[in-house]
Amino acid sequence: MRALLRSELLKQRSTRTTLGLFAAMVGLVLLAVLLHGFGLRAESLRDRHVQLMVLGRGEFLGVLFAALLGALSLTAEIRHGTIRPTLLFSPQRSRVVAAKVAVSMVIGTGFGLVAGAAAVAAGTAALRARGIDVQLDRRDDALLIFGAAAAAALWGAIGVGIGAVIRNHVPALIGICAWLLFVEGLLAGDVSGLGDIGRLLPGSAAAAISGQDPGTLLAPATGLTLLAAYAGVAAWAGALLTSRRDVP
Amino acid sequence: MTEGVDGGGRMVAELEDRAPVVVRSLTRRFGDLVAVDDLSFSLERGTITGFLGPNGAGKTTTLRLLLGLAEPTSGEALVFGRRYRDLEEPARRVGAVLESNDFHPGRSGRDHLRALALAAEIPAGRVEEVLELVELRADAPRRVRTYSLGMRQRLALAAALLGDPELLLLDEPANGLDPAGVHWLRRFLHRFAEQDRTVLVSSHMLAEAAQTVDEVVIIDRGRLVAIGSLNELTRDGRTLEDVFLGLTGAAS
Repeated sequence: MRALLRSELLKQRSTRTTLGLFAAMVGLVLLAVLLHGFGLRAESLRDRHVQLMVLGRGEFLGVLFAALLGALSLTAEIRHGTIRPTLLFSPQRSRVVAAKVAVSMVIGTGFGLVAGAAAVAAGTAALRARGIDVQLDRRDDALLIFGAAAAAALWGAIGVGIGAVIRNHVPALIGICAWLLFVEGLLAGDVSGLGDIGRLLPGSAAAAISGQDPGTLLAPATGLTLLAAYAGVAAWAGALLTSRRDVP
Repeated sequence: MTEGVDGGGRMVAELEDRAPVVVRSLTRRFGDLVAVDDLSFSLERGTITGFLGPNGAGKTTTLRLLLGLAEPTSGEALVFGRRYRDLEEPARRVGAVLESNDFHPGRSGRDHLRALALAAEIPAGRVEEVLELVELRADAPRRVRTYSLGMRQRLALAAALLGDPELLLLDEPANGLDPAGVHWLRRFLHRFAEQDRTVLVSSHMLAEAAQTVDEVVIIDRGRLVAIGSLNELTRDGRTLEDVFLGLTGAAS
C-alpha cells in the first residue's frame, strides 16, 4: 500500500492540476470573503451568524476544490487513458481506489486548512478595517479552520467515489459543482419542503463541522460523523464499481 | 495450484504455467456484438507471434481480456497459466503497449515511468535504464504533450519494459514510428525473443510483420481463421498479404 501511496502522490505532484486548483481556490476564497466583508451593510455584518457565514466561505470553497481534486484523480486517468497502465501495474483495483482516497484526503486537508485560514484572516481583517466588532472568538476561528480541513478531507474522499462511479470527466466535475453550488441549496432551502432533512445532506454536514449556522445545522461532531459516513459509502461504492466494471 | 492433483493433472498445469499465453474458447460479447468468438490459441516461449486481422476483428479486445482490463463472457485468457490479475507481480512478468495513447499530456515522460515504477516497487534506476533503451533520455524531463507520435510509442514501450518482463503484448507498436524506428523495434523484438522471451504483436502492416514474426495468428470477426508458422503459411510462395487477404475475405 505504501508503494501505491507514493505513486499516487507523485501523480498529484507531477502535473500542474493540483497547483492550479489550489491557486484558484485561494483566489476565490479571498474574492468571496472580501466581497462579503466590504460589500455587505455594516448593520448586517455585526450579526454573529453573518460573520460565521462570511468566514465560512473558506470551508465551502475548500470542500468544493477538494471534491474536484478527488474526482479528477480518477477521471483524469480515465480521460487520458493512464488508468490502463495504472491498473496493469497494480491490478488490485480497490487498493488503487483506496490509495487515491487516502491521497485526496491528505491534499484535501491541506486545501481545507489553507482555505479556512485565508477566510478567517481576510474576513477578520475586513471587519476590523470597517471598524465592525468581531463577534467570533478563538474557538470559533479554530473550528472554522480545522472544521474546514476535516470537511475538505472527507469531501476529497467523496470526490474520488463520485469520479469512480461516474468516470466521465465532464459530468463528474459539473455534477459536483452543481450539487454543492446549487442543488443542495435548493433542497435544503425553504422551497423544497425537505425541512429538517436538508441539514443531513453532505454539503450541509460539511458546513456544520466548521460551526456555521448553529441554529439550523447539526452540531459539529454530529456533522463530522455523518460526513465520514458519506465518505465511507462513496469510497466503498467507487472501489466496488472499479473492481467490477471493465476498464474503459 | 497443482496441490492434491494427480501426476497427469500436475503435468498439464505445469505445461500451462510454462506457456506464456493460453486463450481457450474465449468469447466476449458487447450486447449483440460478438467481439471475440470462441477463440483459442497459445504461444510458445521464445517466439514472436503476429496477431493479425482487419479493423474490428477483435485483436484489441483479446489483448484487453488477456490483461484483465475486460472480463470474458466465457472461456479464458491466461498468461503463465493464470489470470493476469492473479499473477504475483504482473508488471515483472508481462509488459503491454496498448494502441491507445495512455499518457497525461501535462506529465513528463520520466514522471510517467516513475509513477508506474513506484506502484510496482521497481527501483528508480530501472526508469533510467528503459529511457536509455528507447533513446528518450534527453526528452524525459519534457511534458508528453510535446512528444511526437513515435516518441510516445517509445515511451509506451519503455513503460512495458520497466518490470523486465518475459512476455510482451503489443498492440500496433509500430504506429507512428519512422523507418529507423521500425527497424529498431524489429531488432529489439528479435533480441528479446532470443532470450527465450515471448512477444505477441498485433499489426496492420503485413509487410513489416512478415519481416518480424515467426508465428502468425489471424482472426476475423472475432474468430480464428489461421494459425501457424509464417513459413508454413507462406510455403506455396504466397506473401503474408496474399494469405491474409484471401482468408479475411477482403481480396475482392
